Amino acid sequence: MLARVKRKWTYLVIAALLAFLILIPFDWSLGQYTVLMIFIGIHTMVTVGMCLLLGYTGQVSLGQAAFYGMGAYFSAVLSKTYSVNPWLAMLIAAIATGAFAYIIGYPIFRLRGNYLAMATLGLGMIIYILFNQLAQFTGGPEGMSGIPYLSIGGFVFDSSFKRYFLVWFFCLAVLLISQNIVRSRTGRALRAIHGSEAAAESIGINVAQFKVKIFVLSAVYASLAGSLFVHHLTFISPQPFGFLASLMIVVMAVIGGLASIWGAIFGAATIHILSDELLLRFGEWDVIIYGLILMLVMIFMPEGLFVRLRDIFGRWRLRYAQRGAEP
Amino acid sequence: MSESILETKSLSKAFGGLVALDKVDLAIEAGKITAIIGPNGAGKTTLFNVITGVYPASDGEILFQGTPLKDTAPHRRAALGIARTFQNVLLFGNMTVLENIMTGQHPRSRYGFLGAALRLPRAHREEETISLNAMKYLNMVGLGTHAQQNALSLPLGQQKLLAIARTLATEPRLLLLDEPGAGLNKLEKQELSDLIRRIRETGISVILVEHDMPLVMGLAEWVIVLDSGQKIAEGTAAQIQKDQRVITAYLGEEVE
Repeated sequence: MLARVKRKWTYLVIAALLAFLILIPFDWSLGQYTVLMIFIGIHTMVTVGMCLLLGYTGQVSLGQAAFYGMGAYFSAVLSKTYSVNPWLAMLIAAIATGAFAYIIGYPIFRLRGNYLAMATLGLGMIIYILFNQLAQFTGGPEGMSGIPYLSIGGFVFDSSFKRYFLVWFFCLAVLLISQNIVRSRTGRALRAIHGSEAAAESIGINVAQFKVKIFVLSAVYASLAGSLFVHHLTFISPQPFGFLASLMIVVMAVIGGLASIWGAIFGAATIHILSDELLLRFGEWDVIIYGLILMLVMIFMPEGLFVRLRDIFGRWRLRYAQRGAEP
Repeated sequence: MSESILETKSLSKAFGGLVALDKVDLAIEAGKITAIIGPNGAGKTTLFNVITGVYPASDGEILFQGTPLKDTAPHRRAALGIARTFQNVLLFGNMTVLENIMTGQHPRSRYGFLGAALRLPRAHREEETISLNAMKYLNMVGLGTHAQQNALSLPLGQQKLLAIARTLATEPRLLLLDEPGAGLNKLEKQELSDLIRRIRETGISVILVEHDMPLVMGLAEWVIVLDSGQKIAEGTAAQIQKDQRVITAYLGEEVE
C-alpha cells in the first residue's frame, strides 16, 4: 500500500514539475526569468555529473569547470572559426572532452582523497590558463563573439524562449539517464566503491575502470552543457570556466544533496537565484557567502539541503497516507 | 588423492625485510572445510590477501582449479570464483541489506552503462534475476526480514552473516572467511557454524582463518597451522591438537 502511495506521489511531483517547467518562459507566467532558468538548466547538467562522481562514487573533482570550458571552446572555435555545423561541433566537443577525461582519468585516479582533489584542481588551472594563452584559437582573455545559434532545418534557436526549451530538453534527458544509471547494476557498483573499495574489488567490481568511466560521463555532461552555454550567449571568454566555477559546481552538488539526482536542479537553482537576485549587491564579497553556505551545509546537513527537505516531506506524506487509511 | 581447488607452490610474500609468507605449499581439497590457524602475525590474513590478489606474491605460484593466477587482478579472481570476507566486515554502509547482496551479483551479470542509461530490455531481465538471487541468499543467512534496513543498522553478528551472503551472491567456488567468529556470542557462533556447513553442502569449498578453537575443531575437516609465515603442521583436528610443534607455537616451550 505504502509503495503504491509513494509511486502515486512521485508521478504527481514529476507531472507538476514538468507543467511548471513548460509554463515558466511565457510572458504571462514567469517570462522575465527565462534567461535565469536557461543558466539553471545548463548548470544542472554539470552538477548531475558532479553528483554521480562525488555523491555516488565518492571521488572529488575540483576541476570540473575545465570540461565545461572545453565543451564550450570546442563548440565555439569549430562552429565559428571553422564553420562546422554547430550540432556536429557539439558532438565533436563531447567526444574530444570525453576522450581527454579518459586519458587523464587512469593516472589521476591512482590518487585518492586530498591528493585527488589537488590533482584535479591543478588540471582545472592548467586548462584555464590554456583558454587564456591559446589566443590564436580562443581569442584569449578578451574572448570571441559571433558564435552561431543552433538550428534544426530552418528553425533557428535565436531567442531565449526557444533556447529555454532546447536547454531543458537536454537537461531532463541527462537527469533521466543519470537516474537510470543510479538505479542499476552500474549504480550499485559506483556506490560500492564509495562504501569500500577493498570490498568492491573483492566482489568482482573493477574499481579503477568504474572511476574512470564515471569521470568520463561527468566530463561529457559538462561538455554538452558548455556547448549549450556558448550557443546561448554567442560569446565566449575564459572567465566562466575558472576555479570559482569548479567550486560553484561542488557547492551546487552539495546543496542539492550529493546522493540525489533531482537535487541537482535544486542546487543549481538555489545558487543562481542567490547570486543573480540577492548577492549582486555584495559584489566580490559573494565568494565569502558561498563558502559560508558550503560550511554550514556540510556541518548541519551533510546529506544536502534538498535531501533534508525531501525527507521531511516524505515523513509528512507518510503520516498523511496513514491517516487516510484509518477508518 | 582427491582434487585440489587451490594449490600454492613455494608461495612467499615479503614486505621489505619482513617475510610474511615463507615458501608455503598448500593443497586445499575441493568441497571441504579447511581451517588455517596460527598465532597472531603468522601470515594468515596475508595469505588471504595474496590468494585474492590484493598483494602480488613475491615468489611462488598459486593455482586455482589447476590454472595459475599470475597477475590476475582481484576483481578478475572474484569473477573466477574466489570470494572472501574481511576481518573488519566492510559492508557498504550507504546501502540497504538487500542492495549489499545485489551488489555481490556484479560478476554474474553483464549489462553496463548503456543498458542502464537506456533501460534496455536486457538490463530489465538481468535486474529481475539479480533481485531473485539476492532474496535467495538473504533468506539463506536468515536476514529475510531485514531486507530494507541500512546494512550498518544490524548488530555485528548479523552484519557478518550479511557479509557472507554478499560473497555467496558472487557464486564462488572457493570461499575465504577471515575470522568469521570474532566478536560473536555463543548463539551467533552456532548459527555461523550451521551456515558454513550449509555452504559446504552446496559444493563450495571453504577456507577459514579463525582463532576460536572450539569453532575450528567442530567445523574443519582439515587444519593447516602457520607460524611466522611457514606451514608447521597440517592434519585433521584430532591430529593437530596432539601435534607437539603446534602446542609449542601457541604456548611456547614446556618448562615442566
